[in-house]
Amino acid sequence: MLKVESATKIFNKNTFDEHKALDNLSLNVEEGEFVTIIGGNGAGKSTLFNVISGSMLSDGGSVILDGEDITHMPEYRRASFIGRIFQDPMKGTAPNLTVSENLMIAYMRSTKKNILGVPSKKEKTYIREHLASLNLGLEDRMNTKIGLLSGGQRQAVTLVMATLIKPKLLLLDEHTAALDPLSAASVLELTNKIINENNITTLMITHNITSALALGTRTIMMDSGTVAIDIDGNERKELSVQDVLEKFKRVKNKIFDDDNVLL
Amino acid sequence: MSITAFIGAMELGLVYSLLAFGTFISFRILNVADLTVDGSFVLGAAASAMFTVVGMPVAGIFAALMAGAIAGIITALLQTKMGIQPILSGILTMTGLYSINLMVMDGKANIPLLNKTNIFTYSENIIGTAAHKIFMLAAVISAVFIILNWFFRTQLGLSIRATGDNEDMCRASSIDTDFIKIVGFALSNSIVALSGALVAQMQQSADISMGSGMVVISFASLIIGSVIIKNKNITLGLLSVVIGSVIYRLIIALILTTSFPPSYLKLISSLVVVTALSVPNLKKRMDTNKKQRVGA
Repeated sequence: MLKVESATKIFNKNTFDEHKALDNLSLNVEEGEFVTIIGGNGAGKSTLFNVISGSMLSDGGSVILDGEDITHMPEYRRASFIGRIFQDPMKGTAPNLTVSENLMIAYMRSTKKNILGVPSKKEKTYIREHLASLNLGLEDRMNTKIGLLSGGQRQAVTLVMATLIKPKLLLLDEHTAALDPLSAASVLELTNKIINENNITTLMITHNITSALALGTRTIMMDSGTVAIDIDGNERKELSVQDVLEKFKRVKNKIFDDDNVLL
Repeated sequence: MSITAFIGAMELGLVYSLLAFGTFISFRILNVADLTVDGSFVLGAAASAMFTVVGMPVAGIFAALMAGAIAGIITALLQTKMGIQPILSGILTMTGLYSINLMVMDGKANIPLLNKTNIFTYSENIIGTAAHKIFMLAAVISAVFIILNWFFRTQLGLSIRATGDNEDMCRASSIDTDFIKIVGFALSNSIVALSGALVAQMQQSADISMGSGMVVISFASLIIGSVIIKNKNITLGLLSVVIGSVIYRLIIALILTTSFPPSYLKLISSLVVVTALSVPNLKKRMDTNKKQRVGA
């Protein structure tokens, strides 16, 4: 489904501060896979998302989604089939537009045929019923401005917007990290429900190793712009948080040793 | 205030509410203070005047709409494709338009339209002399109002509103925000030029300097309007613009009945805008100071 081939992204190239955010990274994700991504700060997780979603172009390599080479496609065009949610709950919704209007914007991704069309009763009902099916209690607040909702509610609406029309790929960039524990848990639960029910191919960045192992079907750990660990199936089921930390340390040390050799 | 002065203020309020519709789109919806307005207002007046001189006032109105849209597109292109700061883009277009406007006006700083047939001649023929301009203006404003009210509910209109509100979200929803801004600024300046076109025909002259300070005047109207009607939705937002513009002109007319020198009007407009934009922040700061004092 998603094929990232030897993607490279270098910041401040040819300067003292040169930093390889992605180092010849290759990743193959099958349709319906739910991959959780962990890794330290600066490991290249967000850069990988930026390159896939098109908010950054890679310096080398290619991104292929569903057989189509999207390496150089502009961000807004990719967005019609890639859903992306950020850490900041303010980023995914327009505060001065109502819940209904925000969802309508997301719904329009698929129905761009008539830009001068006014949303029909049928479309409004569909959106309302879709929201109601998720038991968020927001279907009665369709005409409330999004800015008046809590961070958790806004992030839930963002999630609904990203999946209202099933995306080919869903990118979740620590989307619960800015929420309080209770809201984070309920947004995560909603995420899991939506992804499983619709069988959406998903990549999720998280700093919470417990949820990285509990959710999804596969976990990768990134380090220095490469995939350091890639586990799925039974091996993953039997893994504990402690094991992951051990593995992580081993990876770190190995690189440290390499550096020593170089020096 | 005499009846004549009142009617005059109403006429000005109505004709300048079109100007305020234009800045409502750029300032309130797209969230950019678009200074192109000072130039596109004159551009509309100039285009309308040149057509009126040769006896085609209605064609002049449409020419103004077109010319204004082009001015808006240029500002939007500077902003989006060339990456120039929004405010500077507007200033650049406005400055360039000064020369363009002179060119349109055949190199003359003033085009008199006395005794030329204009669109208000038509309304006078139908309704008679008394307050006929108000009817004509009300008709034009109603049409613009209805069109805008419909437009901002369409998919394109909704995208424009969302772009001003949260651009990141729009790109994530597969909206080409550059294109959206181009449409928004074109529409905005087109309506501003319409306002200029009507002013020229109403006052029977177009002048190269008639646009100076138009941005501030329209902001003052927007602010007065939003104090009276809190912007709940797009319909009320548009309505507040008309009311704000009329009240602004009535205030000015009241000031003029005193011995206050008219040359101070622009200063007053500026002060109105400064006050309205700064009061919320000053209030917040005062509250914080008070709390700090109590805390200490």
